[in-house]
Amino acid sequence: MRTISALWLRNIRGFVRDRVKLVTSLVIPFFFLYVFSSIFKTDQVEDPTAFLLAGIIVATVFQTSLNIATSTIDDTVSGFMKEILVSPTSRFKVALGQILSAATIATAQGILILIIGFFTGLRFNNWETIIYVLFALMLVGLVFSGLGLFLASMVKSASTFQVVQQAVVLPFTFLSGAYIPIDFLPKVLKFVSYFNPMTYTTAFFRTIMLEKGGLPQGDLLKLGLAFDLNGFIITPWMSGGIIAIFGALFLYLATNSFVRADFNKISRNPLVRR
Amino acid sequence: MKSIIEVRNYTKKYGDFTAVDDVSFSVKEGSIFAFLGPNGAGKSTTINTLVTMMEKTSGTLIIDGKDVSTEKDEVRKAIGVVFQTQTLDEKMTVTENLNMHCVFYGVPKNEVKDRIHFVLDLVDLLDWKDKSVSNLSGGMKRRVEIARALLHYPKVLFLDEPTSGLDPQTRNKMWEYITRLQKEKNITIFLTTHYMDEAEICDHVAIMDNGKIMVDDTPANLKRRYTKDKATVQVKNPALFEETLIKENFSFKKEKNIFHVVVDIDDIQQFLDLIQLFKNEVKDLEIKKGTLNDVFLEITGKEIREEASE
Repeated sequence: MRTISALWLRNIRGFVRDRVKLVTSLVIPFFFLYVFSSIFKTDQVEDPTAFLLAGIIVATVFQTSLNIATSTIDDTVSGFMKEILVSPTSRFKVALGQILSAATIATAQGILILIIGFFTGLRFNNWETIIYVLFALMLVGLVFSGLGLFLASMVKSASTFQVVQQAVVLPFTFLSGAYIPIDFLPKVLKFVSYFNPMTYTTAFFRTIMLEKGGLPQGDLLKLGLAFDLNGFIITPWMSGGIIAIFGALFLYLATNSFVRADFNKISRNPLVRR
Repeated sequence: MKSIIEVRNYTKKYGDFTAVDDVSFSVKEGSIFAFLGPNGAGKSTTINTLVTMMEKTSGTLIIDGKDVSTEKDEVRKAIGVVFQTQTLDEKMTVTENLNMHCVFYGVPKNEVKDRIHFVLDLVDLLDWKDKSVSNLSGGMKRRVEIARALLHYPKVLFLDEPTSGLDPQTRNKMWEYITRLQKEKNITIFLTTHYMDEAEICDHVAIMDNGKIMVDDTPANLKRRYTKDKATVQVKNPALFEETLIKENFSFKKEKNIFHVVVDIDDIQQFLDLIQLFKNEVKDLEIKKGTLNDVFLEITGKEIREEASE
C-alpha cells in the first residue's frame, strides 16, 4: 500500500508542479467546445452545449489518462524507473500506483471542466446526477489509464510512442461521437466506430450527465446514446457494461505487460547501449 | 574474511554474441573491489546481472548468500546501486527522492527522517535537502544518488563509474565518502571506473577484456607482476653510459635522442650504484614507479579511455 500511495502522491505532485501542462489541458477543451459547437446545432438536441460538453469531458479524461504512458516513458528515459525496478518493491504495485494516479488526474480534469461548464449554464435536475457523473468519470479514467500503461510498456522508445499516441488518440476520439456525432460519419467509419470503446464510453457518460437514462429507446437512438446493430439495441447501460469489460481487459494487459517489460531496452539515447 | 559476492562460471550471451564468457571471481566482505576493462569488455553486463537488472545465460551468482536469479528481492534488499546514468527524479526535491527510496525498500516509517538526515550529512548535502534535484550540479546529483543508495543500509554498494564526468575536486570528495563508508560502516564496495589512480586505492582489482577476467589481484601484486619501475636519464656522455648499461646487464631503450635513456629497474640498489658512477654526468633523472595503467596496457593492449558508455 505504501508503494502505491507514495507513487500516487508523487505523480499528482509532478502534475500540479507542471503548470504549463495544467493550463493547456484546461484551455484545449474549450477550444474544442467553441469549434465543434456549430456541428451540434441540430434540432434533435435541445441543449447542444451540454451535449458537446459531455463529449469533451469524456475525450479529455481519455487523453489525460493516456498521458500516464508519456509520464511512465519519461520516468524510464530519465532513469527513475531503473531506481524503482532495482528495488525490492513489487512491479504490480508500481503499475497500480501509476494507473491510480493517472485516473485521479484525469478525473480531476473532468471535474474542472464540469465546474467551468456550470458557469456556462450547465444544470442538473437531480442532485444525485453529480455523484453518478463522478463515478462515471473515475471509471473512464481507470479504464483508459490501463490502456495507457499497456501502450507504455509495449513501446521501445519515446519517439515511437509519440507516433503511437497520435495513432490512438485521433481515431479513438473522432470516431466516438464525442466531438462529431457518429451519424455524421461516412458509412465505413461509422462501422469502425462500433469497435471503439470510446463510442460506448461517450454514450454512457452522456446519458448520465444529460440525465437521459429514462428516455424511451427510440429517443435514445435518435440522440446517438443507444446503438442499433442490425436490430440489436445497445442501451447506454449495456455501454457501461462494455466499458467495464474493456477496462478489466486493459488493466489485466497493462499490469501483465508492465510486470514483464524489459525497461533496459528503452534508453535515453538510442545510439548508446545495445 | 568471508566472500560476500561469489560468481562462478557466469556466462551471458546476446544471441550468438558472448558478452561475458565463463567468468568466476569473488569479493571479500568489507573490501573495495574495482572492476576495470576497456569499453565493451562486459563490465556493465556483469554489473547489471549482479544487481538483478539482467538475466544470466548460465552460471551462479551469489550475493550475501542469496542467488541473484532466484532470490531477486532478497538480493535487492542487500544491495545499493548507483548506475552509470542518473536515476534521480528530477522534478522532486532531494528529500522527496530519498523518501521515495525508503518507501520502495520498506524502511520503517519512524526511521525515515533520521536515516535521511544521516545519509545527507554523510555526503554534506544537508543544506540542499529541500531543493529540487534539477537545481543541483552534476557532482551533487551523484552524491544524492550515493546517499540514496545507502538509505536501506545495504551490505554491498555497487557504483558504476561513480566519478565519471566529475571535476577532480569533486572526484576527491567522492572518494572520501566512499572510503569513509567502507571503514565506518564496513560496507563492501563494488565499482567500475576508468580512472587508474582510483583503482589504486582499492583493495582488489579485476581487469576484464573480451568477456573474460584477465587478472584478479591486489593493485600491489598486479604492479609487481606486470610492471617494472623505470628510470629516465639524461647524461653528458651517453656513449659511455650505454656501454656501462650493457656491461651491467640493464635492459633499456633509447628514445628521441641519444641523451634520453629508459632503464628497467629490477633492483633499485644496483641502479643507484650505477648512477653513483655517473654522478657528475647526470643532467636529469626521473624514476617512475609502475602504475596500474601499465598493468592495464600490458594485459589488454589498450589504453584506458574515458568514453560515454559501452
